[in-house]
Amino acid sequence: MIDSGYVVGVIAAMGLVTFALRAVPFVGAQWLQKHPIVQRLGEFLPLAIMTLLLVHSVTGAALEHPGGPWPELLAVALVVFLQWRSRNALLSIVLGTCVYVLMRNPGLGWLTELF
Amino acid sequence: MTNKTISAHDPCVNGWSVLALTAPIAMGYIPLGTVFGFLFVQAGAAWWLAILTSVFVFAGASQYMMIPMVAAGLSVGTIALATLIVNLRHVFYGLSLLKKFPQGSLLRWYMVFALTDETYSVLTTIPESTSHKQMALVALLNHMWWVLGTVIGAVIGAQAQLALAGLDFVLAALFAVLTVEQWRTKKTPAPLWVALAAYAVAHLLAAKHALVISIVLSIVAGMLWQPKSVAVGEVHND
Repeated sequence: MIDSGYVVGVIAAMGLVTFALRAVPFVGAQWLQKHPIVQRLGEFLPLAIMTLLLVHSVTGAALEHPGGPWPELLAVALVVFLQWRSRNALLSIVLGTCVYVLMRNPGLGWLTELF
Repeated sequence: MTNKTISAHDPCVNGWSVLALTAPIAMGYIPLGTVFGFLFVQAGAAWWLAILTSVFVFAGASQYMMIPMVAAGLSVGTIALATLIVNLRHVFYGLSLLKKFPQGSLLRWYMVFALTDETYSVLTTIPESTSHKQMALVALLNHMWWVLGTVIGAVIGAQAQLALAGLDFVLAALFAVLTVEQWRTKKTPAPLWVALAAYAVAHLLAAKHALVISIVLSIVAGMLWQPKSVAVGEVHND
């Protein structure tokens, strides 16, 4: 069980930071426009951070089980392909997760014969 | 999260059409809130903390990011910094809504608080004649959809046992979806390649702290980065 007091602290910090960011233009719009570095980071970081979170969230599992990182690579590639083509987040997530779970649970192999 | 364009050319927006405006958002927020609540509780936190997070943070991507970080016991400061980075884009949302929002009231600050990607997309497309109360109602309804989803997920998560290996891939799948959506809006995939390289380096240096190190490396790269052509906005720094 994760310590609740610690999580409350995290929630308070995240809530304050998020509110502060959303409030910045209402307090100092001009300051923002004067700083190209803020705009450059705003342009660069979101994609970089999402990529990092993606890689980080699969690395643990990919190194953990024998047989190499192939299930993770395949499933991520599938989600990226589906999302790029369909733009349907729910479809991409559900299909990608199902395929990954099938690959990780050999006992469910009989299911694949249905396709 | 999901990119849905809402068109509302009806000059008279009443309570019901406000509900209709937020319906596509409800379709995204309720299932994604459910996934958040479920994973948060499965990671080992109390169910009411999941709801508290959705009420007081109300920012999808950073709430998902928070799950592995809290599970790993990272410091509050580190998580706050990561939140700052992931939500940095919100800094630009208010700019186009400065005049639309009510002046100097509690309502104004609630709307500032609730300004998510999706609420922003609705509020910037509804007609000029929309009253402040109706705009606040859009924000409030979206907030409620997100909390409702979280409650459902937290309740399921508190009862279910993860019997299948790899079900937590749902989080990676969500990050993959968000990566694709970020990639789509960018003129160059450079941040993606920089992030991959940064993570590889960080993992070699110290696998345990790979995420924090690679975030710092990416910030440094982002500050040094010079877009070939002038990117979004009028940035005159060449």
